[in-house]
Amino acid sequence: MIATMAFGLLILSLIVQIVYLFKKADKQERVSPWLSLVAGGLLLVEIVRRSIAIRFVALTGIFESLIFLACAMAFLIFALRHFKSTKDNKVIPFGATIIALIFLALASSPLAPSDVKPPVPALQSGWLVLHVSFTFIGEVFFAVGFVSAILQLTTKSEEKRWNYDRVTYTSIAVGYPIFTAGALIFGAIWAEKAWGVWWSWDPKETWALITWLTYTAYLHFRLVRKSTSRLVPALVIIGFAIAMFTFLGVNFLIKGLHSYA
Amino acid sequence: MKSSFDKIYDALRSVKLAVVLLILLALFAIAGGIIPQGKPADFYRDRFPGAGSDIILALDLDHVFSSISFLLVSAVFVLNLTICTFHRLTGEFSKPRGKRRHGPDLLHLGLIVLMFGGVLTARTRTETTVNLRKGESATLPDGAKIVLVDMTYEQYPDGRPKTWESTVEIHESPSQASAAVAVQQDTRQFRIRVNAPLRRKGYSIYQQHWHTEKQVVLKDPMGMEFSLEQGMRAAMKDGFVLFMALDDASFSPLEGSAQANTSTPETSSADYPQGAVFLLEDKGKRTVVRVAPGQSIGPFTFDGYIDQSISGLSVVSDRGYPFVVVGFLLVMLGIFITYIQKLKGVFA
Repeated sequence: MIATMAFGLLILSLIVQIVYLFKKADKQERVSPWLSLVAGGLLLVEIVRRSIAIRFVALTGIFESLIFLACAMAFLIFALRHFKSTKDNKVIPFGATIIALIFLALASSPLAPSDVKPPVPALQSGWLVLHVSFTFIGEVFFAVGFVSAILQLTTKSEEKRWNYDRVTYTSIAVGYPIFTAGALIFGAIWAEKAWGVWWSWDPKETWALITWLTYTAYLHFRLVRKSTSRLVPALVIIGFAIAMFTFLGVNFLIKGLHSYA
Repeated sequence: MKSSFDKIYDALRSVKLAVVLLILLALFAIAGGIIPQGKPADFYRDRFPGAGSDIILALDLDHVFSSISFLLVSAVFVLNLTICTFHRLTGEFSKPRGKRRHGPDLLHLGLIVLMFGGVLTARTRTETTVNLRKGESATLPDGAKIVLVDMTYEQYPDGRPKTWESTVEIHESPSQASAAVAVQQDTRQFRIRVNAPLRRKGYSIYQQHWHTEKQVVLKDPMGMEFSLEQGMRAAMKDGFVLFMALDDASFSPLEGSAQANTSTPETSSADYPQGAVFLLEDKGKRTVVRVAPGQSIGPFTFDGYIDQSISGLSVVSDRGYPFVVVGFLLVMLGIFITYIQKLKGVFA
């Protein structure tokens, strides 16, 4: 119910943004960021409610993961209005809102059962909470980078391309360390504590490494190719597609240690 | 004009080489992520008929992460990272103190230590699984003895596991076990559960699995009860009785088999949903017999079953993990410093 209300608010936010996208006025509307903030708050309430019910941080199932991703995304959409490089941009928050809505739509699908289930022993770890939350927060920044990279590739204006490159790079530069800490470091520490092996080439681990290698390649490639190359933003788009495959595709298509996630 | 050494040095430390290597490593990982690893050749021939399986097997894509090509690319990557880190570090030290940026250096150094730890783990890690019933013991790598004192297995109402926990005693000096005082001093009790391993010097003990097995309960002529696990035998005069297997088939009691020395109880077969199969050796003659609870086998009476809990503990020694942890700390420190510097630059 709470997640549905958040979904409704994000839809409303999207409608407001669409109206202003077609208006030629330079002035930014001020309603949609607040709608996103309230939606994020509602989703946070849902996470807290479920956490109280299972007496553990509710981040152990696919439904909860999607809710957390949408929540972090909604907060970031609000924050985008306050960053120097994105505060006047209408399209990036619009794209980010669509991604948040996709997360919530997936959460409401049969793929993500919403039953409140306490975690099995392997998931009862503080390291798991750090692993999952940091990974998703990193991926939320990657999502903004993804939207910005698409705009960077499609715009014809040199000035806009330069601006989008700056936003893309900033998003990845912020998300990358958080993702590295969450997906690789905290994940490996948790695996060692739970199973006695910090790396086992499990499909999820392997795909998380592929995501990390792609963004690492982007950060290094950008050093040598600067903002003119089309391959540089393409790596960010590929990286986000791989990150989403790691999160969703591996869960449903490949069996491994993370099959319950 | 640059010397050949300088050219090779510059090529090996270049960011372009790093990008190429990163993409190659990603491609290897994609292959390893898509193609099932470590299966027999026939598996690939069935799953990828024709040229597909030939390519997979020829390029070692059935074991990507231990293939020569992957290890070679990884080795060049470590070399690139090492030279780049050295070059960058010397460059940073030549700058004034306030303008140095050591975040990436620490991150790169952490990755090198991490990969060294990874190689050490791959070459030296050992894992042994011990299955213990309550009261049973096993010897640990350092000669200490582990005894399973108790175990807890709790389930949620929906049947999923809630807790697996083993309470164990570690006897540090098994050679002095007969000396009661020494045992008291050197014996300590620990709890091992999933996500809370017992750390010992040089190795750790993990709660790996838990299961139950059915054991048969036999009563000797004196009325003393004892249990037998599958494959174990109980001695008797001129032979033994060995518990071979459970008999899940609908049971019809044997009628006075002399060889099995059984007697038919005065109850219907419906009361005995499950029997057991025993091997009876008596005066050199071996017979396989099916017995229902209440019937006798040799001098013993088959009294029924008990569910025996078994705790699966894995004893892991990994000399690479301390290096991995140091690598992680350096990476985190490098990330933190880089992050702060980026935040200052980007959001200023």
